Amino acid sequence: MKILVVDDSATMRRIITKNLNSAGYDDITEAENGEEALGKLEGIQLILTDWNMPVMDGLTFVKTVRTMDAYKDVPIMMITSQAAKKEVIEALKNGVNDYLVKPFTAGTIAEKVKGLAE
Amino acid sequence: MDVKYINPFINSVVTTMEMMVNTSPKRLAPFLKDNNIARGDVSGIIGFASQEIVGSVALTFPEKTVKKIYSVMMGEETNGTNEDIQDTVGELANIIAGGAKEEFSSMGITYHISIPTVVVGKNHSIVHKGGTHVMVVPFKLENNAFFMEISIKLKNNWKKNNR
Repeated sequence: MKILVVDDSATMRRIITKNLNSAGYDDITEAENGEEALGKLEGIQLILTDWNMPVMDGLTFVKTVRTMDAYKDVPIMMITSQAAKKEVIEALKNGVNDYLVKPFTAGTIAEKVKGLAE
Repeated sequence: MDVKYINPFINSVVTTMEMMVNTSPKRLAPFLKDNNIARGDVSGIIGFASQEIVGSVALTFPEKTVKKIYSVMMGEETNGTNEDIQDTVGELANIIAGGAKEEFSSMGITYHISIPTVVVGKNHSIVHKGGTHVMVVPFKLENNAFFMEISIKLKNNWKKNNR
């Protein structure tokens, strides 16, 4: 499964990628923000994106992806520090399939990704 | 500075460290800061604002502490206060400011956070957004110290309606 990880923090991208590798997912593409991610969508089957990023934030990125015929059904999980209920609802309303609040454990991310991949 | 606005950030620091570094930090006695000088060598600063409040929170780490945190988080050692360390500190500030939102939302406050900025160097300055007192909350992570600084100002309309 080809997974796109979008986060402006290199540390967080490495942690997420490491967790995905441990869970058996090896085909990972990374992007620093929503704009860069839009250029890396080809063949992507699952997207994990942060919200609070410079250039293009995660919510704008998700809204854009959902307007693209080729990617409108690709599962998207938001992995973010935005912990307010209002924000979770806003993300889900705008096309996010699942939501994970940072900090998270390796077990939680693996479980959620497995759920979305099935 | 009302403790009910400080506690969500303290709780977020504890939760974040427990999950990211597998250690529960011990909180020490807070105090008011009387200058802009940071107690650590690397600081991550993040601003927040809503209709009700405005302020900023900073996490400031001595080099020894942040190198220890990095090695636990990433499973590898690193030298000095390089780009990896700075990125880690910025992300920790982001997670802690975002994590406090849940408790604030139960008070009817939903704030937006800025992109974190990171400052490095001995005796660097931290300028807060609240324009009011800065409280320092020291923590010990095993034998390593780090500090959370926070400045929050309630906006006038919120004060009138909630006091």
